[in-house]
Amino acid sequence: MTDPTDQAGANAADAPIADLSFDDALAALQKTVAELEAGGQRLERSIALYERGVALHERCAKLLAEAELKVQQLVTRAGGALEAIDVTPDNARDAE
Amino acid sequence: MEAVTGPAPGLRILGVSEAARAIATTVRADEQLRDLWVEGEVGRVTISSAGHAYFALKDERAQLQCVWFRDERVRSPFQPQTGIRVVAHGRVDVYEAQGALQLYVDSIQPSGVGDLAIRFEQLKAKLAAEGLFAGERKRPLPPRPKVVAVVSSPTGAAWKDVCQVFARRWPLTRVVLVACQVQGDGAPESIVRAMRRIERYVALLTEAGRAAEAPVVTILARGGGSMEDLWSFNDERVVRAVVAHSIPVVSGVGHEVDVTLTDFAADVRAATPTAAAELVVPDRAEFASALARGAERMRVAGARAVVGASRELDAERRVLERVHPAARLAASRQRAGDLLDRATRALRVRLQGAAVAEEQLATALPNLASRLLGSRAAALAEAGAALVVLGPQATLERGYGIVRRSSDDSIVRDPAQVSGGSRLRIRVAHGEFPATADEPPR
Repeated sequence: MTDPTDQAGANAADAPIADLSFDDALAALQKTVAELEAGGQRLERSIALYERGVALHERCAKLLAEAELKVQQLVTRAGGALEAIDVTPDNARDAE
Repeated sequence: MEAVTGPAPGLRILGVSEAARAIATTVRADEQLRDLWVEGEVGRVTISSAGHAYFALKDERAQLQCVWFRDERVRSPFQPQTGIRVVAHGRVDVYEAQGALQLYVDSIQPSGVGDLAIRFEQLKAKLAAEGLFAGERKRPLPPRPKVVAVVSSPTGAAWKDVCQVFARRWPLTRVVLVACQVQGDGAPESIVRAMRRIERYVALLTEAGRAAEAPVVTILARGGGSMEDLWSFNDERVVRAVVAHSIPVVSGVGHEVDVTLTDFAADVRAATPTAAAELVVPDRAEFASALARGAERMRVAGARAVVGASRELDAERRVLERVHPAARLAASRQRAGDLLDRATRALRVRLQGAAVAEEQLATALPNLASRLLGSRAAALAEAGAALVVLGPQATLERGYGIVRRSSDDSIVRDPAQVSGGSRLRIRVAHGEFPATADEPPR
């Protein structure tokens, strides 16, 4: 099993910002802000960090604003297998 | 007062007050009378102008005068009525001014429910003695859970309330209903089975390398009801299942006033199903404000980088100007000229590069600022310049504090974790300070 935090870090570094998940984008944004605030980098690097930070912030804000709740129900299949199936709050099955 | 005539030697005549006091002292010394449940039929009830209720509790052979003071009475949803059977809790004491022995009632329930109240207290004491409600075993909730399991009735209002809160506050979360009965004889077993299914589901996903898809918090949700309706959540099997659950449990059972043993066993107790969901996820509007403040901080840092770079260039230019006359005096004018040319060219390139970069930033900054300000002017107007989205800072800023025991750094959630003289550390928004606990009231 891969370490989820490593994976998130790698994704944040490599993937295009438009493909990042909320958590990855947020983690990358926090890293970017911290690096910018620490200072000491060349101007070009500062500007690149800054632009990346802006894009990451927009990605986070967009995902937050546009997210739609996913509602599921855990059902037991024949043979005892468990599966989460999509439902709506109003049509969930009245069965265990 | 010494008796000289009348009664036999050795006996004393008491004043009425002395006699009443002697009775009161004897009554007060009796432990059973200090804390007792009495079941009986309510006689005539009178309510005084001050709002106190006076009545007798009766059975076939005896009666006991009762007084229920206003403050406690008005808080009770249940009121005594002539002719019904009740269970009253309180203490027996003597009202010396009238020589009356009375039950000073602090709570009353209809008979039958009274049995439940007694069973509740007994089971609570037993499970507490086992340490099931101990503060130390409470687990913290993950800050932004991706998947939350909800144990509830699929047809109940509680489940729909929970969904609404998630949809409004934090729709990035996936909500997984695990259906069960929440009242009736089969409910405790049904609740326990639902929790077991969650544990099995989490274990299966984890084994399959898909732990990220597994629920990380379980909410127990059930709307308000009578004590009997909520009784499943006082069932020992349910309480033990909550304690043994493989992920943190948030209880959201009943209304604000309802307390169940599940509440004590849960890692976090919420007053209602809605409140439970609100405790589990942040509010996206607040979160977006915090993000906007982070972006503002970034803007400040970006601007500082540009200012710093232009200062360096100024300094270099001044050094070059100082070098210039000295170079003229060098033996080889040609060489000095070359040197100067090269230095000037290099500087010009750097200056041009910086100018371009500065120009880029100059266009980027107002764009960003206007984008941020346009959509979140209110958020940016807030003073806080910190990206506080992960930590408890936002909460602390609202005036909350975090109390830790100095001895083991554990967070204090229950007065029982602290004894008199305990060293504490209290963290507030702008720092931390030490404190010592007083002797808590018993």
